[in-house]
Amino acid sequence: MNDRYKAGTLLLAGAIGVLVATYGSLPTSTNAQQADAAWTQTRTAWGDPDLQGVWRYEGAIPLERPARFAGRESLTDEEVAQIQKVEEEQAAQRLAGAEGAAVARRSVGESPIRGNEYNSFWQDHGRPRQVSKQTSLVVDPRDGRIPYTPDAKKANERASARYGVGPYESFLDPDTGERCLTDGVTALMWQGPNGGHNRIVQSPGFVTILHEEYLDRRIIPVDGRAHGSIRQWLGNAVGKWEGDSFVVDTTNFIDRTNYEWAAIFTRPSETLHLVERFKRTSANSMEYRITVEDPATFVKPWTAVIPITRLGDDTQIYEYACHEGNYAMTNLLAGGRVDAAKKR
Amino acid sequence: MRTWIAVVGAAIMTGFAAWMLFPTSARPQAEGDAAPYTAPRTADGKPDLNGIWQAVNTANYDIQAHPARPALALLPAPPRSGSPGNTRATPVELASPAVRPFGAVGGVPAGEGVVEGGEIPYQPWAAAKKKENAEHWLERDPEIKCFMPGVPRATYLPYPFQILQGANKIVFAYEFAGASRTIHMDPVGDSPAPTWMGWSRGRWDGDTLVVEVTDFNEETWFDRAGNFHSEELKVTERYTPASPHHLLYEATIEDPKVFTRPWKLSMPLYRRFERGKQLLEYKCVEFVEELMYGHLGVVDPATGQRNK
Amino acid sequence: MSTKFATLLLGVLGLASSAGPAVAHHAFAAEFDATKPIKLKGTVAKMEWINPHTWLHLDVKRPDGKTERWMIEGGPPNALYRRGFTKNSLPIGSELVVEGFRAKDGSLKGNGRELTFADGRRLFVGSSGTGAPRDGKDR
Repeated sequence: MNDRYKAGTLLLAGAIGVLVATYGSLPTSTNAQQADAAWTQTRTAWGDPDLQGVWRYEGAIPLERPARFAGRESLTDEEVAQIQKVEEEQAAQRLAGAEGAAVARRSVGESPIRGNEYNSFWQDHGRPRQVSKQTSLVVDPRDGRIPYTPDAKKANERASARYGVGPYESFLDPDTGERCLTDGVTALMWQGPNGGHNRIVQSPGFVTILHEEYLDRRIIPVDGRAHGSIRQWLGNAVGKWEGDSFVVDTTNFIDRTNYEWAAIFTRPSETLHLVERFKRTSANSMEYRITVEDPATFVKPWTAVIPITRLGDDTQIYEYACHEGNYAMTNLLAGGRVDAAKKR
Repeated sequence: MRTWIAVVGAAIMTGFAAWMLFPTSARPQAEGDAAPYTAPRTADGKPDLNGIWQAVNTANYDIQAHPARPALALLPAPPRSGSPGNTRATPVELASPAVRPFGAVGGVPAGEGVVEGGEIPYQPWAAAKKKENAEHWLERDPEIKCFMPGVPRATYLPYPFQILQGANKIVFAYEFAGASRTIHMDPVGDSPAPTWMGWSRGRWDGDTLVVEVTDFNEETWFDRAGNFHSEELKVTERYTPASPHHLLYEATIEDPKVFTRPWKLSMPLYRRFERGKQLLEYKCVEFVEELMYGHLGVVDPATGQRNK
Repeated sequence: MSTKFATLLLGVLGLASSAGPAVAHHAFAAEFDATKPIKLKGTVAKMEWINPHTWLHLDVKRPDGKTERWMIEGGPPNALYRRGFTKNSLPIGSELVVEGFRAKDGSLKGNGRELTFADGRRLFVGSSGTGAPRDGKDR
């Protein structure tokens, strides 16, 4: 135990050294999302606010407020510093693969990353996640919890319980992500199995968002046209500028509530309606605000605010060939047949 | 003297008129031969290729010239013998049972081909493999399974695509399967791994967008006729604005593992200028799951019955 | 580790899990069998850069001299690329030791929980040669 603690501290010191050398300074809650007073909004060649680049949510804020923060919309500076420290230690451990080694020594049942037997080294960039004072991404309702309908709440509990467990009797049983279809629009700007990278490209009349996963792509017209009427998985979006904010209204989603969704709050129905606001607050940060309305899933609209980080200019979006080699699907179904044979 | 001046003057004027009316380099009008077109510029001074474009030809059926055919999957024709008219009739080409119910909807239209010179210079082993691919089209064509189509096939699939010119990156968004390419106009490192859609580096050559595409895997085809490549494929594309409503597209194919020399295909790309035109979704993964996985689980969703 | 650290650690993991599945998909227990651990030594025949899991094709020589072709599930490639790990980091013919669990249906497939080069260097972990920062464990 002691040796491990010493080793961990040494690793931490080394890793922090590397991080400081690489990134210049440690992100702190006070800097993370505060608009840089000296920064002015850059513009495209035709004068629209420039949102271009590769963006990613790198925060440690949970979507919904955990019970122990009930009634509190904000953390104290001391709590922020404490969580910051843990994030830095965690990042160092991940870099060193220590988490993976620890996982490897545990049984699957004990693993803290249930259903995903890989070191999270695979997913992150070696940077500590950013901490902020927000106790949840959900800011409205003020209790920080998503206002599910009773049926949707049950569906959500079912989705969590069956995730990684099944049963898997046909290709309909895995969730839409496991089927390499999509994870939906609602969490597109801030979630994703490989860490949710999005590239924003602007051309006259359009803002294009290339999501790294599932070939999901949103080409949003900004020319005042009405919504298209054809229903789609990613709905039909129209955008406009309000000052320096990019406001997107999306409707006309196709109904796929009959499929399995890993996260019920992302499922599209015909009554889903999203309003998003993108506002760049500094050279490398953006405030992304989304209001989600859908009587099929929520008793009232809810809003989340997510601080998004712009990654370096040399960051790329890589091809996401998922369906082209969905061995997990064939393995799940083979495993399902084994289970069924055992039951007989 | 005056007569002499008049004659010479008339000769000069006649000659000048002739020069104006009858250009010495008279030749037949060919594709792209109109007066050179200069594309409008974007706000940052680059040729403006923004818009939704689509090829209108049969290249996706077969990039080479081909007559009409009953179907994409055919039964082999039986051999003929004896002198014609003195033996009983034999079939020429019949649709394979799997596609027969489609009737004329499943037929292949004739096409003049888009390969310059007509011939695809396969190495002998590769020519045999192409023939084999065509015979096994139903099992092998990646388009059937909604796999990413690769380059240049993505250009001439029967679906539109959109060019979106950003700062330093140009996005080519294809309707089919939601496939996309990012053309890097700024210096960029190497692709970390082989891909379906390749790694694209672009530059301007006058009004022409030149894209060099490398780092392909070996999985994609050029069409539904079994034309294929290896992971050594390199494609050089040229997109040249030729009028407000069309581009001229050329793709040079190099693959020393499969072909004996580089070869080229070319075609016009037409602007989809309908008012309010947008790229629509063709998320076809959902369309092929029953085909690919229906028989693999405990239960078949199409019938609700247990699989054997 | 200290109790305080452990509490913070669990707290952070608690925060992480409530943000939704950070890495979704691919149900371990539904594909692989935790009662069938495998340890294989083989050479890399092919690497498929598929998301969200890479698939490594490994030629494994059996004691009876025969060679078996195994497929091993690795982690997400796109994250690897950003850590400097590319196709050049794992050339065809590299010798690997794979520890993991076998596919539920008994086929020659498994997940690569722990992958090391034959010389003991852990694969995909912060040691030199993968482009990731040195972790002090290099020899």
